[in-house]
Amino acid sequence: MTVAVDTKYDLQSKIEEIVGEYGAKSTALIMILQDVQRQYRYLPEEALRAVAKTMKLPLAQIYGVATFYRSFTLKPKGRNHICVCTGTACHVRQAVVIVDKLERDLGITAGETTADGEVSLETVNCLGACALGPLVTANGIYYGNMTVTKVDKMMSEVLHKTYDSETTEEAA
Amino acid sequence: MSTNRLNSPAELAALKQRLEKNRNANKTVVTVCAGTGCMACGCEAVLKTFHEERKKDRLENEVEIKATGCHGFCERGPLVVVHPSGVFYQRVKPADAKLIWEQTVKGGQLVNKLLYRDPQSNEIIKHEKDIPFYKRQMRIIFGKNGFMDPTAINDYILLGGYLALATALTKMTSEQIIGDVKKSGLRGRGGGGFLTGKKWATCRAVKVDPKYVICNADEGDPGAFMDRSLLEGNPHQVIEGMIIGAYAIGSHEGFVYVRNEYPLAVKNLTVAIKAARDYGLLGENILGTGFNFDIVISRGGGAFVCGESTALMASLEGKVGEPRAKYIHTVESGLWDKPSNLNNVETWANVPLIIERGADWFASIGTENSKGTKVFALTGRVNNTGLVEVPMGITLREILYDIGGGAPRGKRFKAVQTGGPSGGMLIVEEAQPKSHGSPVAHGDIRNENEAVNLLDLPVDFDELTRVGSMMGSGGMIVMDEDSCMVDVARYFIHFLTEESCGKCLPCREGLVTMLSVLRKISAGKGTMEDIKYLEELSQVIIDTSLCQLGGSAPNPVLSALRYFRQEFLAHVVDKRCPAGVCKDLVSHAIDNTCNGCHACLKSCPTSAIVGEPKRLHYVIQDKCIQCGACYQICRYNSIKRVKRGEGDKLQERAREQWRPPLKKVTAEVS
Amino acid sequence: MDKVKIKIDGQQMEVDDGTYVLEAAKSISIEIPTLCYYPYMVPYAACRICSVEARSASGWSKIVTACNYPVWNGLEILTNTPRVINARRTNLEMLMASCAPVPVLQHLAEQLGITEPRWGTDKHTCILCGLCVRICDEIVGAHALAFVDRGANRDVSTPFQLDSESCILCGACAKHCPTGYIKMEEIEKRFIVHQEMNLSPNAAITLPFRQAVPNVPQIVRENCIHFKTGGCMVCSKVCPKDCIDYEDSPKSEEVEVGAVVIATGFDSFDPTPMKQYGYGKYPNVISSEEFEVMNNAAGPTGGKIVMENGEEPRAIAILHCIGSRDHDYHKYCSRVCCMYSLKFSHLVKEKTSAEVYQLYIDMRSFGKGYEEFYGRILDEGVNVIRGKAAEVVPSGYRQHEEGHLIVRCEDTLIGKYREIPVDMVILSTALEARRDAKEFGRKFNISTGADGWFIEAHPKLAPVSTTTEGIFLAGACQGAKDIPDAVAQGGAAAAQAMKLMAQGEVMMDAAYAVIDEAFCSGCKMCNDMCPYTAISFDDAKKVSVVNSALCKGCGTCVAACPAGAIMARHFTDEQIYAQIEGILA
Repeated sequence: MTVAVDTKYDLQSKIEEIVGEYGAKSTALIMILQDVQRQYRYLPEEALRAVAKTMKLPLAQIYGVATFYRSFTLKPKGRNHICVCTGTACHVRQAVVIVDKLERDLGITAGETTADGEVSLETVNCLGACALGPLVTANGIYYGNMTVTKVDKMMSEVLHKTYDSETTEEAA
Repeated sequence: MSTNRLNSPAELAALKQRLEKNRNANKTVVTVCAGTGCMACGCEAVLKTFHEERKKDRLENEVEIKATGCHGFCERGPLVVVHPSGVFYQRVKPADAKLIWEQTVKGGQLVNKLLYRDPQSNEIIKHEKDIPFYKRQMRIIFGKNGFMDPTAINDYILLGGYLALATALTKMTSEQIIGDVKKSGLRGRGGGGFLTGKKWATCRAVKVDPKYVICNADEGDPGAFMDRSLLEGNPHQVIEGMIIGAYAIGSHEGFVYVRNEYPLAVKNLTVAIKAARDYGLLGENILGTGFNFDIVISRGGGAFVCGESTALMASLEGKVGEPRAKYIHTVESGLWDKPSNLNNVETWANVPLIIERGADWFASIGTENSKGTKVFALTGRVNNTGLVEVPMGITLREILYDIGGGAPRGKRFKAVQTGGPSGGMLIVEEAQPKSHGSPVAHGDIRNENEAVNLLDLPVDFDELTRVGSMMGSGGMIVMDEDSCMVDVARYFIHFLTEESCGKCLPCREGLVTMLSVLRKISAGKGTMEDIKYLEELSQVIIDTSLCQLGGSAPNPVLSALRYFRQEFLAHVVDKRCPAGVCKDLVSHAIDNTCNGCHACLKSCPTSAIVGEPKRLHYVIQDKCIQCGACYQICRYNSIKRVKRGEGDKLQERAREQWRPPLKKVTAEVS
Repeated sequence: MDKVKIKIDGQQMEVDDGTYVLEAAKSISIEIPTLCYYPYMVPYAACRICSVEARSASGWSKIVTACNYPVWNGLEILTNTPRVINARRTNLEMLMASCAPVPVLQHLAEQLGITEPRWGTDKHTCILCGLCVRICDEIVGAHALAFVDRGANRDVSTPFQLDSESCILCGACAKHCPTGYIKMEEIEKRFIVHQEMNLSPNAAITLPFRQAVPNVPQIVRENCIHFKTGGCMVCSKVCPKDCIDYEDSPKSEEVEVGAVVIATGFDSFDPTPMKQYGYGKYPNVISSEEFEVMNNAAGPTGGKIVMENGEEPRAIAILHCIGSRDHDYHKYCSRVCCMYSLKFSHLVKEKTSAEVYQLYIDMRSFGKGYEEFYGRILDEGVNVIRGKAAEVVPSGYRQHEEGHLIVRCEDTLIGKYREIPVDMVILSTALEARRDAKEFGRKFNISTGADGWFIEAHPKLAPVSTTTEGIFLAGACQGAKDIPDAVAQGGAAAAQAMKLMAQGEVMMDAAYAVIDEAFCSGCKMCNDMCPYTAISFDDAKKVSVVNSALCKGCGTCVAACPAGAIMARHFTDEQIYAQIEGILA
């Protein structure tokens, strides 16, 4: 999987393949965009134009949808993706402390990616594993019952497993 | 599964009989909870271990290993229940799995260290049904989870699945089905609490085609995961409910709109739909009755507002999730302007039960206006967190103490939040708190005019609304004395400002204004005018918001002001956060119970803590950024969050009073 | 449609079931304020300013938005209870907290009694009413705009904030934006003097011109949204008499006539090629026609004489003979410009306090009262400079010059080079023949002169006739002239035409051509050859026929006919042979 976008021809045929799986129905627009994002790690402008063309929908509608929903990003995410759950149960279990620590260590605020493109940090609303709060997922791997002291260990595991990130599944 | 199509109810009954006959009731079945919660705890490794052991011992034919849906007791995961004895093992690690295999499965012995020990009575309890967490529940829906592999349709049929469908399609008319649902008193489990039977009847009466049936699985409330566990663990029951509903209403197309953040639910549901189609339970000519109905899964894009029915339908249409006015109901004009009946996952799951066991049976459970059971996601500062299914009318006290097992780490309950960001904070503090000795104990501030606690409130739709909250989808978050109500109110409003779609003015601008006021109060810059603004603004936002996201957004703030007004006043007048949460109003300081264990020093990111091992430590107030890391890590409760500026005073006193520990102190285990 | 009984502000009324409250109220003249409402689209109900209180007989009441709340039997609506006013006021205050104090919000604030918005104001001009996006989606059908992001970050934009390829430049979004956040931008380089010179840059419905007959608007296809996207059609929804027909197209009718009066008028000279005057380059250099439009009370400025920036000019220069009396353009004198230039200076003096300069070569005030008018102009203090202007340059060329433009000329009466600072320059442009006059004339078999004007039969004695019988000329198409002359000529042409019709008998030349039907094969060669278009083809008989009233007896067709079917009367072959024999005898 590559972050760089394919050549124009490859992109068009890839988009057509993805759209074809869902029958090009407008009901499936969000799922189509999610698959496109899975392919390219973000939603490149060319891809959105290709989707609009293939599905015969106005580009303005596609762009509006792509910017409205939080699961989409128009900027490339980092190679490693850290999500801190800030659902109510985790908040009540002091998730904010974990977020602060990660922001301090990485030097970015939640929602951003580090300048070298290695790590992006995000907060999400409730992953549904409230018994394990505060919960952090790193490249899809769940780290439950997080405390501030466990963060360093998690980050070193994450960064040293960088070469493995292509084989782990995304949780969200 | 190839051509196993069931062409009639008789064939379905015959299949069930065959499965029952083939089943060996004495065969050992090892069930491992494989819901997302337990997955996150590592149940996959546990499963893998069991499979490896079984293979090694070549006991494939003798022992069955089943990955089931959520058992509910998430606090204690991973969970393993061995049948037929029903022995309940909790907190099972892969290494423990080996022990279970050797000792229980092969040897018939118990592994004591993995059995449940009740924290209050210290008793060891062997069987699931005897554990207090489960005993007080009424698991008419969730009970099946523990016995089924959600990806095996035969497991569901074995438990009586799809028989209600057969009855409905062949022995009942649409009017009869709707009549039953009406009689049962079933109300929507998604939050609105609307009478399901009435909704179906209205939809049926609209003479427009086609009609759509939608399952709202967007479960966006943070802290709620009932629908997810239901879809992961028992998707067939939801499917069955939808088919019955579609038949009653006259619809042939159904949608399940699932949050994108639930990949396992999507996976299991996809498998279930395919299996149902293969069996002729979905698609054309269902069970040979000539009724056609099929279901399409649609994933959400990450927007809480899409849990609102009109926004969900806009999202299904491929547009942004903007709600529209509901002056014309969606049952008359919804998805693509056609009549659309939308119900929550749990509501659909109740339908086969009503058809199977009768409306009267269902109506016998619960209170006068709230029938049946409700699944709650009990989370937060309570011992037993997880999913609990209880009859309507049960009190908060029973949920918190009998099922929930009380507050951990010896803290006091303070509030219970129901209904997610649309609900309210209900005070559940005991009238006579045990003395805690902490200068920031919540007991210092109390609102004398309101009932001191709502512990004895019966939980049902109308009661919760009456006291300023709502049932919502079932999230129930417990907070203790370490939670600040101003902070929680701010948290919810912040959540809603991020999730607001931005279409209507009061929600988009009003919530941002409310957030800035709450932040002001939390930072110690609030005034009495600000509290007045909050109340005034809340009323206008409730009155003029377009949908219920905005319309119920002020509830957390209003209920916090109602029950915890003194806490707000402390922030505004005293510039003090009694719970010690609001960073600008607290100072972290170490008191004389310090053990000198050095843990806090290591965790401090700004090196603001100094001290020698085994000697009293202290926090350099100027360097402390109030991050709370030390508070989290200290096992001796020595870090105190005092009013800003009083840290040094506390630490001076500590210096005078501190004595080195005489012997090794055992830490309080949580 | 069933009717239901409702009450609004105490007034009983009956309306169709399902009507929205806002429309019902409007029909009994109760105004409810709105921001995001547009009558021809689905109500959006985002601004909540149209909130009203709805009550039922059972005592239940709630706040609803009037624009999309459908009435039902027994509904009571109250439009200005304290609860309603408070709801509107608070909402407006919240809106103002994040928006600039644009006029539409201030106006509403005054209505609701807000003097100081509690949370201040900001700079953002977009109020997120969504009118632009919805119009583009629902009515125009171009889908060029969208809402992006959500919550407090919500904004209106084109995809990727780039120029949209789907935008059809109709301007509907700019027209309906209540705050002016969206503006139409001129993307060509040319300055149109005073943007409002045209009715609006892209108006699709216009009057061809103010004095058009019939004086009804027409749809301009190139600008009409319906013809671009198939959408809109709002005009047909509004028209009370159902006059709009999109299928209408120019129809051609064939009318058989015996006389035609050609009065096709003139074109104005376009001074753009004369780079020295800066027309099209400097904003305040305008042509005389543009000045006429501006001066007209029904014009874009309401008759005020203003510069492009809306200010009154301090000095105006009127340059005569632009394109006329010019070796490089037109050698002729356009006859009317001197007088209208004087008229302009009189109007300027009347309406403003500007200085006026007339730069002329000769002052041609030849008509009745014309010379007297010239004298009056001089008395009004107009500066007349004898000397054709050489150049117009922008000021700032030298430090001490005031005004925006400098007119450079030689004042031949005092023999000095002058540079005159002015704010506006009016070019009295030449009258030209219509550009397609030559082609047009061919249809009637009349010719144009070297200057392009149509040639009359005789310049002194037959100024309204042409060499083709029955074709007459009137007005400027025959040569530049002013209104009295044109009117007189028009009368003359009409009289000539009527003479033809009233005559009953037409005296014509004895020698004309006759076609023998028996020999005519219907090859139609003679039809095209006749210089007087006197031969036509009879479809029924399939032979050619000569119109003896038109035939001049030139004999071209006689010689050309391959079958020899045409004979010239009194000029037959036998008669010619007889004449030759007579001479040789």
